Amino acid sequence: MSDRDVDRRSFLRLAGTAAAAASLAGCSGGGDGNGDGGDGETGDGGGNATDGEGGNETGTEERPEPETREEYLQRANLLLHEQAPWVYLNRQYSVYGVSNEIQWEARRDERIEAYAIQPQDGKRSVRITQSQMDSGLDPHDHRETPTDNIVLQAYEGLLGRDPEGAIVEKLATGYERIEEGTVRFDIREGVTFHSGEELAPEDVAFSINRIVKEDVGGLASPQRDQLAGVTGAEVVDGERAVRVNSDGVNPIVFQEFATYCDIVQRSWIEEHEGSYINSNMNGTGPFQLENYNQDVSVSFARYEDYWREPAPAESLEITAAGEASTRVNQLLGGETDLVVNVPPQDAGRVQESSGASLSAVPSTRIIYNAMVYNREPFDSTEFRRAMNLAVDLDSIIENVLSGFADPTGQPTLEGFVGYNDEVGPFEHDPERAQSLVEESGYAGAEIELHTPVGRYLKDLEIAQAVASQIDNLENVSCSVQQRDFQTLAGELLDGDLSTSPAFYLIGWGNATFDASQTIIPLLTSDGALTSYSSDRVDELIQQAQSMTGEGPGSSGADGDGNQSGNDSSSS
Amino acid sequence: MSFGRFLLKRTLQGVVVVWGVVTVVFLLRFITPGSPVDVVAPLDASPELRRQIARELGVDRPLYVQYFEYLAGLLRGDMGYSYLSGTEASARVFARLPATLELTVAATIVAVALSVPLGVISATRRHQPSDYAATTFSLLGISTPNFWLGIMLVLVLAVQFDVFPTSDRAFGFLESVGHLVVIAVDGPLVPPGEGTRLVVEFPLDVGAFGRTFTTWLSYIVLPAVTLGTYFTALITRLTRSGMLEELGQSYVQAARAKGLPETLVRYRHALRNTLIPVVTVVGLQMGTLIGGAVITEAVFDWPGLGTTVINAIQQRDWPILQGSLIVIGVGFVVVNIAVDAIYAYLNPRVVE
Repeated sequence: MSDRDVDRRSFLRLAGTAAAAASLAGCSGGGDGNGDGGDGETGDGGGNATDGEGGNETGTEERPEPETREEYLQRANLLLHEQAPWVYLNRQYSVYGVSNEIQWEARRDERIEAYAIQPQDGKRSVRITQSQMDSGLDPHDHRETPTDNIVLQAYEGLLGRDPEGAIVEKLATGYERIEEGTVRFDIREGVTFHSGEELAPEDVAFSINRIVKEDVGGLASPQRDQLAGVTGAEVVDGERAVRVNSDGVNPIVFQEFATYCDIVQRSWIEEHEGSYINSNMNGTGPFQLENYNQDVSVSFARYEDYWREPAPAESLEITAAGEASTRVNQLLGGETDLVVNVPPQDAGRVQESSGASLSAVPSTRIIYNAMVYNREPFDSTEFRRAMNLAVDLDSIIENVLSGFADPTGQPTLEGFVGYNDEVGPFEHDPERAQSLVEESGYAGAEIELHTPVGRYLKDLEIAQAVASQIDNLENVSCSVQQRDFQTLAGELLDGDLSTSPAFYLIGWGNATFDASQTIIPLLTSDGALTSYSSDRVDELIQQAQSMTGEGPGSSGADGDGNQSGNDSSSS
Repeated sequence: MSFGRFLLKRTLQGVVVVWGVVTVVFLLRFITPGSPVDVVAPLDASPELRRQIARELGVDRPLYVQYFEYLAGLLRGDMGYSYLSGTEASARVFARLPATLELTVAATIVAVALSVPLGVISATRRHQPSDYAATTFSLLGISTPNFWLGIMLVLVLAVQFDVFPTSDRAFGFLESVGHLVVIAVDGPLVPPGEGTRLVVEFPLDVGAFGRTFTTWLSYIVLPAVTLGTYFTALITRLTRSGMLEELGQSYVQAARAKGLPETLVRYRHALRNTLIPVVTVVGLQMGTLIGGAVITEAVFDWPGLGTTVINAIQQRDWPILQGSLIVIGVGFVVVNIAVDAIYAYLNPRVVE
């Protein structure tokens, strides 16, 4: 194994599986999806078809070498558009139903901060209905959005995000990169836990270590990969600050802390057993737990000693209804104020009602069809591009998703660090698709699209539309195979590409707003859920991950908390 | 065979059935793809960490060891601990059981209260408009999927006319009568912290009771009607055919010949005999309703065992799922034994 190989493997391990956000829309794992998986097939991808077959189609490699981290990511996105390892589908929208008795704006990261809800006309209490209840209240012992939305009312992190996704300070009053693998957070004064005790830097260091170290806090946290690269934290002697160490540069460390790592009180955690921590809460957030009726509802009261202004709502109740129509009926019946995941078929009912309205926002989740790069006929770039040209994405978005989606043409979503605005969705061109299939040598191919059912918004209907449009090509036939999500996820996460279907629909959420956390796990040779391997993509990402992204040409928050403009420089 | 021996035999058969249910439910986990470790382990967990988690969950031991430990635990009332929250599975399951039992009993009451009069009217006014109406209702009731019926009832009676709440359960029946008589039962049937006492407070606050009871009723009407409609239709048909058969029997002719009033002949003699098989079916169907409540609970967001089962499946929280399924299975067996016992008591020839 060459040094370069070792280097690449270590950087990918450092970045971890980077399962970002809710990853497979809340998939809680499955298989041995470790970061160094894919040994054998993916690792041997150096001479694969994609490397030889189309990397220069539009002259990507004739362009000057990128200079900044963002340019490297943009270049990778351009290459991944040209190589077409996926059939690029849609960016999913988060669609909420909101009662007229409250004011609230949906966030792009699918989080519902009740602190931002403004009750109207003297209303004091707010009720939120999700699709599912929590799996326990320990803020470090879950990785699903419904649990997040309950826990985040009482717990907070060092950093947060505004509704547009920009980084803001929360329990940290300052943050900076001290050296390559070390960053520092200054801890806010005057913050108290709901128990009444004051927040100390020791609590912050303990919280970080509880997530990243298996032997701290009596828990092997399933969130460890959400702080990918972080190796531990310690209190800065004599100062109200914490030093966080990473294995390498870790360019997205602040993005990670803006999305993850709730702060808990060390003594409270150490004094109680897991089952107690899972059914009680002691955070610093705007609401404190009042009653926990597991599987049914969680009630909160406003925390009057909150370090910011107390929340506008005096009390808060979060419940769940698995059936979307039940949630919508509750909203229209005036029994709840905010419901999640309003399906397209019910959107009209909400819009037409006098007591509620829709709030829709592009989410951080992309829906795509992966085409495994070393399996016939998907080992041909021409064939993969043909599949993209065969799909009428606009029609799917209009007819299947009622317009609640955006088309995509690269793995990174608009507004993320590394998004390449030169790259648009593929045009629908069945004739060109047919000729590309001929060129690929796979005319007459029969392919099967595997899809989970009910996991993502209209997943089966999207898959059926895609398959039907591909099947309309004269030289390819395509059918749909419906799959149990857990079984499919297990096949994708077991680190062995040969066990996964060659063509499958899946969704990926990335709440770090950084391209690397989509490309590394899904499209690099050693990614936990990869379906693709290209030395050039690996190299571009490796370069990007060795840079901090701070300075000219970067976007998003830098180490000093500054927001620099979105550089539209192309790659 | 004496009644006692009959009951003992049925109980032993029930124990064997429960053991079968427990075994199948236990083995389900092993024939389903994926491991419990996947539910809790980080995505990038090392093999060593996965082994450690397997040890902590107790799933690293041979299947037979896990099986016998599970059986031993069940005998002590221990169903294990939730993989996700670490809470006791038995506490979670029994906390949800009252809601399901309440819904099942309410559905049965709705069904019996409607179906027996309908069946009798249908039989005694054969080939008249009321008979056709009752028969048509039965056909519709049996043919209508209850999830569809539930959604329609909500759209019309809750969303459109605002007569009932759309879903949810405000509080339990015991809490609704709490203003009249404060009752709390020790054990897992009530949420922790409610205490154990039986107190009758004077003077009785009838007004408050009326308000809470009405609220309780408003929440349970639609789910109970939804769950009970198929059952209503079934019992109506059964009552109608039973009544028709009994009214044609010679003892009825004899009673009429004796000059007994027709009302007495129908309701004292024919109906009483008709009700014997009806009682059996009602008992057996109650067991079915406990399991069948899953869909109705989902439509009405009713916080019972059905909702718990669905959540546990989604989260792959096996101890909770296994516990719920076993309780449903045991409920079915217990109801069956009770029905057998009642039937044997009413009709001693069965024992022989």
